[in-house]
Amino acid sequence: MTALPLPARSPFKRLGLLHVAVILTLATIPFLLVFAISFGHKVEGAAWVWSLEFSNYKRFFVGSDYPDTVSFLYLKYLWYSVWYALVAAVLAVATAFPFVWQMIRLSRRAQTLWLVFFLCSLTFSEVFIVMGWDILMSNRSGLPMLFRETGITDWLKANGGLDLLREWGLATPRNVRFKPSQFATILTLTYLVWPYAVILLYPPISKIEREVIEAARTMGAGPLTVMRTVVTPMVRTPLIGAVLLLFVFLLGAYVTIAVFADPSSHTLSISVYEAVRGATLNAPFGAAQAVILLLTAAGVLVIGQRFMSAKSGGR
Amino acid sequence: MGKLLSRGFMCGAAIWIIFPIIVVCLAALNSGRTMFFPPEDPTLARFTEFFLTEEIWVRSLRTSFVVAFSSAGLAVLAAWPIAYGLWRRNDRGSKLIAGLALMPFALPPIVFGVGLVFFWGYLGALGNIWSGIISHAVLFPALPLTTLSIGLQSIDRAHLDAAATMGANEATAFRTIILPQMLPFTASGFFFALVLSFNEFIVIFFVSASGYSTVTVQIFNSLRNGFTPTMAVGAITFLTISALVFSLIARFGNLPQLLGSDSSKSS
Amino acid sequence: MSDLVLENLRKQFGSFVAVDGADLTFENGKLTALLGPSGCGKTTLLRMIAGLESPSRGKIMLNGQDIAPLTAEQRKFGMVFQSFALFPHLNVARNVSYSLRIAGVDAKTRRARAQELLELVQLGDKGRNRIGELSGGQRQRVAIARALAQNPEIFLLDEPMSALDAKLRNDMQMELRLLQQQLGITTIVVTHDQREAMTMADRIVVMSQGRIEQVGTPQEIYHRPANPFVASFIGNANLLQGRTIKNGVRVDQTELIVKGQGELVPGAEVTVFCRHEAVRLSTDSLGENCVPGLVTFVRDEGVAREIHLETPVGRITAEIPGSFHETVRIGDRLIAELSPDTLHLLPVAEGVAA
Repeated sequence: MTALPLPARSPFKRLGLLHVAVILTLATIPFLLVFAISFGHKVEGAAWVWSLEFSNYKRFFVGSDYPDTVSFLYLKYLWYSVWYALVAAVLAVATAFPFVWQMIRLSRRAQTLWLVFFLCSLTFSEVFIVMGWDILMSNRSGLPMLFRETGITDWLKANGGLDLLREWGLATPRNVRFKPSQFATILTLTYLVWPYAVILLYPPISKIEREVIEAARTMGAGPLTVMRTVVTPMVRTPLIGAVLLLFVFLLGAYVTIAVFADPSSHTLSISVYEAVRGATLNAPFGAAQAVILLLTAAGVLVIGQRFMSAKSGGR
Repeated sequence: MGKLLSRGFMCGAAIWIIFPIIVVCLAALNSGRTMFFPPEDPTLARFTEFFLTEEIWVRSLRTSFVVAFSSAGLAVLAAWPIAYGLWRRNDRGSKLIAGLALMPFALPPIVFGVGLVFFWGYLGALGNIWSGIISHAVLFPALPLTTLSIGLQSIDRAHLDAAATMGANEATAFRTIILPQMLPFTASGFFFALVLSFNEFIVIFFVSASGYSTVTVQIFNSLRNGFTPTMAVGAITFLTISALVFSLIARFGNLPQLLGSDSSKSS
Repeated sequence: MSDLVLENLRKQFGSFVAVDGADLTFENGKLTALLGPSGCGKTTLLRMIAGLESPSRGKIMLNGQDIAPLTAEQRKFGMVFQSFALFPHLNVARNVSYSLRIAGVDAKTRRARAQELLELVQLGDKGRNRIGELSGGQRQRVAIARALAQNPEIFLLDEPMSALDAKLRNDMQMELRLLQQQLGITTIVVTHDQREAMTMADRIVVMSQGRIEQVGTPQEIYHRPANPFVASFIGNANLLQGRTIKNGVRVDQTELIVKGQGELVPGAEVTVFCRHEAVRLSTDSLGENCVPGLVTFVRDEGVAREIHLETPVGRITAEIPGSFHETVRIGDRLIAELSPDTLHLLPVAEGVAA
């Protein structure tokens, strides 16, 4: 046997470095560009030029004509972005949690079937889902027509239900009307992330040891008490984590808002698209709005992270 | 009683998820130009239109396939070294690299879409199909990265020691031990990326710039001009592909493990 | 082929010293067991010999060369792992011939060699089976065959029996020993089971906290432990603390006569060592070194019974054949006789649990 020197480096090293550099460039440069261009200057009637001005941010927060006039239009868009995303994320997690709790009691085979089912609906493109709900909600077909044909509309008219729905913006004098409405928007957004919530909650909940539950039951806790005092505290961190992830995901929702929300309650995504690729074509302003959207997402994630690490303490 | 209640709850959830999907599928049977539910005068003519006769759908379906397959392949290639580095070294640097590679997927896609518009616009490649492919390839390594990491975690490091004592260097061990055991995870990652790319809308909507359109973009454009039942055929096609792919992953891979459940306990 | 010699071999993980300056010679063709409690550094030592850990300092000499700088794949010592580490994606024969395949040996030779080795471990008909179809014992045989396929200069086994159940373990220990003698290959086995070490080994290396406590044949280790640690780790022994006198040792107020331990220097602190089975019990005997005792516990193990006594020299445990003193109960009084030629004096070491 002869002594050979140790191989100096892993054979993959050089290849890996090049590779990683390419990936990272592609993954980070777009974000950096958004950030850089958000300080750019829009030339009227033309494209834009590099600059370092804060006018785009000023326009976002107080309007471009400040201090002569003040406009909170874009803050309102941001508010709607946050509002829709938050409500839908909380609703989805709150309903998916008890579902997953039931699901993990099934056989492994049944669980796998459910998971396949949810993965299908999870990956099902937003455009198709919106299309489905659109058919269901649109005034000439779907539910409103069903209500009219089956006489529910007349019944609602008779006992005053329709007036109540009108107050909520879900009806016209003649029939129920779901589109456009915040109800339809939030319903569809919740639907959009519901399978996502199931998939996110499945691992932590399936890892809860059966013995812990059984121990609680031998000490006299009923199913609801177990749920309240044992299960929920154990999965509090994943629950909050799921809400945060869904929130960030929903913050950028586009199709649902474009189809279901009234223009007066549109979100930042719509306005970003309009600025970057749509009618208004103001790339720097679009970029600034995208940065704000990103910072909102990052801010919520950071706060959530703090909150969770404080809660889970020594884990 | 409790059991009945839980069954009822699960059935309710299933119905809630499947209802709009069924609506879309049935809408495909409409014979007229407009969508009705329930369909009026059912026909299968929309299927021939979607797959064969209507140029616009045939072309966008082909584009969807090209983009999905190429970008999923690239995403897997992109994810492999990162996952391997993360597993092999597990230091701060490799974690940072993985974190950055996950970023496009973790942040709101609309922001990444805006960034890509600037990026490709700057390179003069906006609206090129290959820039769309690369965009998806950068968006989706998160999925193969996850499946590969899960797979690599399950490889017993003693296997590598054993291979080393039998004369295998790192490259040989990679080829003969790691790669064969990782095939199911690589395939799962590929198919996850494939299905997501197939269904992705917002990023491709931004970067396609009317140069080409995938099915999702085409559907969205048509949505604004009103429905045609042919669109519903697209939905059915996509749903079938998803179901097929995930059934395959479930059949040949361990789906609960891939999704992060504790497989040692119940298998 | 020559001996494998370790010179001042040391391994440190941060501030933790796993192996502290080991000097050892593994004789050619002999089976050596590295024995010690978990965490004593025996596995680290084995992995350094295999090349899976690089030593912080020291040399590993084989055939007059320091092989410490070589990687595991350059040394190619076969190794059997605790979990066996069989490749699940390869069938039995392909596992066995793995080292030949990556070395570029042609398929025909590979098949023949795999078959030869599988027959050696009595699995000649299992070549095409998948690993998942094998029992624990069969897996271990495959792991052994696989490690031997490359004709290694040194054959290493890391806790090879720990994944097997008790009965199978006994059979496999004998089988492995016979196989090793048949092949005459230099073999190193890591184990925490003293019985296993004594069954298989020509020589035993007892380790504790990274240090080598004693090296010797099983008989030497058992009957002449070098220090209280070895004495307490191997077999069952009574250890009493005392101080030497002219012809023996004083424990508390009792003087015990000791024979055959050479010249005694009075006044030295020592540990008195006496095997459980060397203690004789009686009801009335008044020979040398007799101490009265109160029975505090009786453990009946069938073939033998263990009787625990509280005596003026401390707690004494006696192991006697099962048929003796059948009526002894807790609270009885008995005389324990520690005959002078069964007592050994050991230097006092700190931090040893008897």
